[in-house]
Amino acid sequence: MPAIQSIALTARNNFSEADIERRLKLVGLDTEDKARIATIRDIVVKAADEFTAAFFDHLGRSTDLASMFRGSVMEDARRQKRDHLMAMVSGQYGKEYVDQRLNLGRLYSAVGMDVPVFLGAFHHMLRAISDAVMKASREPAGSFQAFLSLQKVGFLDIGVIVDVLIDERERIIGAQQDAIRELSTPVLQVRNGLLILPIIGVLDSQRAKQLTDSLLHSIRANRARVVVMDITGVVAVDSKVANHLIQTVAAARLMGATVIITGLSADVAQALVALGVDLSKVNTVGDLQGGLEEAEEILGYRNLPSAHRSEDR
Amino acid sequence: MAIPILKQGDTLIVSIQAAPTDQELLRLQDDLADQVGRFRSRGVIIDVSALDVMDSFASRTLRGIARTTKLRGAETIVVGIQPDVAFAMTQLGLTMQDVMTALDLEEGLQMLARIKEGTRRRRE
Repeated sequence: MPAIQSIALTARNNFSEADIERRLKLVGLDTEDKARIATIRDIVVKAADEFTAAFFDHLGRSTDLASMFRGSVMEDARRQKRDHLMAMVSGQYGKEYVDQRLNLGRLYSAVGMDVPVFLGAFHHMLRAISDAVMKASREPAGSFQAFLSLQKVGFLDIGVIVDVLIDERERIIGAQQDAIRELSTPVLQVRNGLLILPIIGVLDSQRAKQLTDSLLHSIRANRARVVVMDITGVVAVDSKVANHLIQTVAAARLMGATVIITGLSADVAQALVALGVDLSKVNTVGDLQGGLEEAEEILGYRNLPSAHRSEDR
Repeated sequence: MAIPILKQGDTLIVSIQAAPTDQELLRLQDDLADQVGRFRSRGVIIDVSALDVMDSFASRTLRGIARTTKLRGAETIVVGIQPDVAFAMTQLGLTMQDVMTALDLEEGLQMLARIKEGTRRRRE
């Protein structure tokens, strides 16, 4: 598994000669295959336009081509596809060949092509090639072998292009996760010495660490004595998340701040009890309002109705 | 070298400057146990803000000091644990559950004052 993973990661940048070597070995393409491919080269080159059309016609059946490839992108894609077909039978599968595939993959990725859609169209194109090869053949067994060799090249291409598509998707997901992380850990001061920390989303160990870190620094910067941590927005609270919370509370206490956890819903409370998580050392209050009231009490504040309002009554 | 203990009214203040050796910590525990009685102190504040590490021995000794002084009639408050130190300590499971903590010397003194106020009220 690690070997395959390392191949996928290289798709983001470029492939080294060694990566290409490894990929060729994975699909099993050797010199005999290249010789066999040479025998059907003319058929493919002659009908390259037809096969390109087969690819895009099939795409057109499953997606809206016009909205996918806008303007000159369509021309560009067709041209690159045609070049691809030429290159497939050229017998040269080195760096230049793979770089062309990467470029095409990036183009597909930019127009938002799905992996299954691409696979369908690619298969359709190979089918068209096989039909043409078999029709022109005088010796079916040999032609079939030649086509199978060409198919190996096809699988090499699929490997590269699917990697680019997946890689791009992972990059987007990664960027979004970073954005969510950035957005979702504010530490706010409500009164002198009172901070609130609303937690929203998923609390994994990475985020719990970051959250504890920013809380501890805020405690020092704001000279906070009480922190109200609201977990209403936490998606799921299990024993792991509860442990993170307990650690955060312990760390804040070491700095002399009391932590009140609020927003434990009925379901969460029952789940924690069922799991046997011991939250007895943690100060918990049902909702944010209750937590703030408790915090103000600890700090010595008291809320009184204003004289003005009592006159109104 | 012994860690210096300063007397301020009925409070003893200890500021640990450089990372103390185990011997120095044990000596501090002895000295505090002795001086709390001699000066009839009601509170001890140990400032660890200069420390960038707190190992298990140090935190156990601090707990020991807190318990000892409590038996001799003085509350101990550990102040000035740095954010990174606090984080590392919880990772190691050193939560010092039974020791009082405060942000810094100032907060610690206020805390002692509140405790004194509390006991005075209870007596009245």
